[in-house]
Amino acid sequence: MNAPADACAVQVTDLTVAYHERPVLWDIDLDVPAGKLMAVLGPNGAGKTTLIKAILGLVPTAAGDVRIHGGAYAENRRLVGYVPQRGSVDWDFPTTVLDVVMMGRYGALGWFRRPGRREREQALAALEKVGMADFRDRQISQLSGGQQQRVFLARALVQDARVYFMDEPFQGVDARTERAIIDLLKELREKGRTVLVVHHDLQTVAEYFDWVLLLNVRRIACGPVETTFTDENLRLAYGGRVEFLQRKAPADPAPDDGRTPGFGFQGRIRP
Amino acid sequence: MTLLAELVTDYTLRTVSLGSAALGAVAGMLGAFAVLRRQSLLGDAVSHAALPGIVLAFVVTGAKTPLALVVGAALAGWAAALLVMLVVRTTRIKIDTALGLVLSVFFGLGLLLLSVVQRHAGAAQAGLDSFLFGQAAALVGDDLRTMAVLGAVVVAGLLLLWKEFKLLSFDPGFAGALGLPVRGLDVALTTLLVVAIVIGLQTVGVVLMSAVIVAPAAAARQWTDRLGRLVLLAGAFGAASGLIGALVSSSVERLPTGPTIVLTLTLLTLASLLFAPRRGLLAARVRRLRQRRRVAVDSVLADLYRLASQHDDPTRAPHAPDVLRAMRDGAGTGRGLELLAERGLAAREADGRWSLTPAGVDAGRRLLDGDAEAGA
Amino acid sequence: MRRLGALTLLLLLLGPASGCGGGGGRDDGRLHVVATTGQVGELARLVGGDLVRVTVLMGPGVDPHLYKATFGDVERLRSADLVAVSGLHLEAKMGEVLTRVGEHLPSVAVAEAVPPARLLAPPGSDGAHDPHVWFDVALWSLAGDALRDALIRVDPEHAAAYRANADAARAELAALDVWCRDTLATIPPAQRVLITAHDAFAYLGHAYGLEVRGLQGISTATEAGTGDVQGLAAFIAERRIPAIFVETSVSRRAIDAVRAAVRARGFDVALGGTLFSDALGDPGTPAGTYEGTVRHNVRTIAEALGGKAAP
Repeated sequence: MNAPADACAVQVTDLTVAYHERPVLWDIDLDVPAGKLMAVLGPNGAGKTTLIKAILGLVPTAAGDVRIHGGAYAENRRLVGYVPQRGSVDWDFPTTVLDVVMMGRYGALGWFRRPGRREREQALAALEKVGMADFRDRQISQLSGGQQQRVFLARALVQDARVYFMDEPFQGVDARTERAIIDLLKELREKGRTVLVVHHDLQTVAEYFDWVLLLNVRRIACGPVETTFTDENLRLAYGGRVEFLQRKAPADPAPDDGRTPGFGFQGRIRP
Repeated sequence: MTLLAELVTDYTLRTVSLGSAALGAVAGMLGAFAVLRRQSLLGDAVSHAALPGIVLAFVVTGAKTPLALVVGAALAGWAAALLVMLVVRTTRIKIDTALGLVLSVFFGLGLLLLSVVQRHAGAAQAGLDSFLFGQAAALVGDDLRTMAVLGAVVVAGLLLLWKEFKLLSFDPGFAGALGLPVRGLDVALTTLLVVAIVIGLQTVGVVLMSAVIVAPAAAARQWTDRLGRLVLLAGAFGAASGLIGALVSSSVERLPTGPTIVLTLTLLTLASLLFAPRRGLLAARVRRLRQRRRVAVDSVLADLYRLASQHDDPTRAPHAPDVLRAMRDGAGTGRGLELLAERGLAAREADGRWSLTPAGVDAGRRLLDGDAEAGA
Repeated sequence: MRRLGALTLLLLLLGPASGCGGGGGRDDGRLHVVATTGQVGELARLVGGDLVRVTVLMGPGVDPHLYKATFGDVERLRSADLVAVSGLHLEAKMGEVLTRVGEHLPSVAVAEAVPPARLLAPPGSDGAHDPHVWFDVALWSLAGDALRDALIRVDPEHAAAYRANADAARAELAALDVWCRDTLATIPPAQRVLITAHDAFAYLGHAYGLEVRGLQGISTATEAGTGDVQGLAAFIAERRIPAIFVETSVSRRAIDAVRAAVRARGFDVALGGTLFSDALGDPGTPAGTYEGTVRHNVRTIAEALGGKAAP
């Protein structure tokens, strides 16, 4: 089981996912220490979402092993919280905000039991944390993008997990929501939780995260932001002459060389 | 009404009405899930796929015992549903293509088998083709009993696994991450759907069954935003249509019951699409018109206020309508002024110029201040 | 390998369906007559005798109102020297096929040879005639004459033989007609009502003096409505009809529903038996011939309604 001294929150070995014989993830090895806020970076098609889904057992893997706090994923499922991409559901579904958040407790409830007062209170508490308590009876189709993201976050909070996986939580949200979310994530980190976030905005990586994983079908690099988030690694991950934005003034846009990185790139990756 | 009294006293009317209502209720409830999961065509595919099962059941047992045919229909429908899921999972074919494919192949096979059986099986096979369009008027007490039992099973299944089905329909990815057996639940829900369809085959037939599955849910969706209410309402709509269909077809000569039920459902769905309070087309139209009015009023009010506030006494600063029209490119100015007059916010002077009333000045100030706050 | 297996299965299924009727017209000297229903086929055999080879498209128990021609049927039709159909839209779903075949092959619609004055048109049918002519044995005799004339047109050499056969057939049918009349006359007046699954027996009723009511209309393609079941049940209970009948080519579910409804009204109507309405019985059984079916029907009806079969 998970001894408190177990410093490795997520341990992935040799993870490979192939889709119709085309590799999407190849031989991924990961050792994420507990209590880190880690960004998963890579160009489109690099396999970031697939990595999350493979760890959670949502897509079939060709090879590999996943351990959460020392135990197999199947056994330590309840230690894991998940925030899927906002676009992965139909928000016109007839349900309320509170209802969605309570879904986070379904795993703990087990079969045949209905959510009761306790689950309701837990859900309300999570909604408070994300600032959506007033919206509890609102139809989810009436929410803005940022509000939807917060609801998903609340649902994950209610899972009361030790490791959280989040897929592009900052995608398409307003500045205020983004601020609120990152504050929440930092709070989780302070409590010793581990958070893995698929992230798309290179500008904010150093500010938000302390660990980073650079991915492009293979693992490019993984480690603390200071040592791993370098020009060289970014070049390896994103390919070509993608200028690293952090060094330049925000007014200078990076030259878009129009290439879709990731395809035909395998030959140049050095793990 | 004598028709309603007849409903209680007349055996045929009572039986057919109860059967149709039960079918409508069960199919409607499950249809809600099918519609939410974008699997409306699945009901169609499973119903059509039942045909070869019915014919094969006849071939295997040599008789047309209802139980055998129902089992045959269920097995064939179930096989079709599983085949669809298999195709989607293992190939690049998307679900709508897979459904269309399986539907046509199974139904075609059914028609082929039917034709072969009709040529060779002699007199015993007569009436197999009544499964195409159903024969609601031929329902008897035994059929009702079967429907009641199967219906109860379906409803029980829905109740027991309610939250699992809800999560499965909304976010199967999250469900999987929680450890729910997504594939197993999928099969379970589909199985319940197959049972519901099989209940209805003798009543409305293979071809019309998909309407009974999809229409109640489509109609109900217009009236509620809660899943529980949606399912109940879909069941209610289905039951009501079944009942009304039976009643109407009983009072008109030579009016077949199955199609009448489906027509009732269609009218109900059309009415819901048009007249539902929030999601209906009519309501949307009214909302749009109201919005346009409000914009017209607000923009004219704002302009009047801006002009008026440059004078010492805003309530005594009449301006000609043409001035206002020039400020806003003219559109809607006249109407806006009329509406403002209606609400007591502006008044027309004898010389044709318009000025704000004190209430209008207040409203104008609030409008522009409010805008300023929002950073407009 | 798997695909080959599926293909073989498909061919096996189609094989018997297409039949082995590929041979051309006169390869054995006989005329090839293709008939749609069994009754028409019988007539062809009676009138044609040894000079013809008859192929019947619709087997025993097949409903002619709903039957759709298969690929094999079209092949058979095209190999015919004479196409004999019942007509008056009995073979409703074969209409297009028969029209096209009739454009270049000799064909005859035997029921349409009956003078219109003697045809029945049910109320509300806008003048479309009831095609179930063969239940009136005397009318069916006229149909036999039409078939004779068609055969003579196609094969004038053997005109004499056809005429002789037709005369013999007419005599047989006349005797049958008398037997039917005598048998059905024994039913007591209050019980002279014939109730069946669909309105096929109007001609029988008209010819032999029975009141006739069916649950479905003259075509089984229409579905019986709840009101129809109720109406019929009320009628039966009111008039205290002793028996109603199912048909071989129509599902019996609807009739069972009528009986249940009658029972609910406190009366018990018996199932008088199974009648051959739109199709003959299995070949080799007594009801496999036209005469056999007629005798079976009339005897069943008479005995169930309180009469007795004539010797």
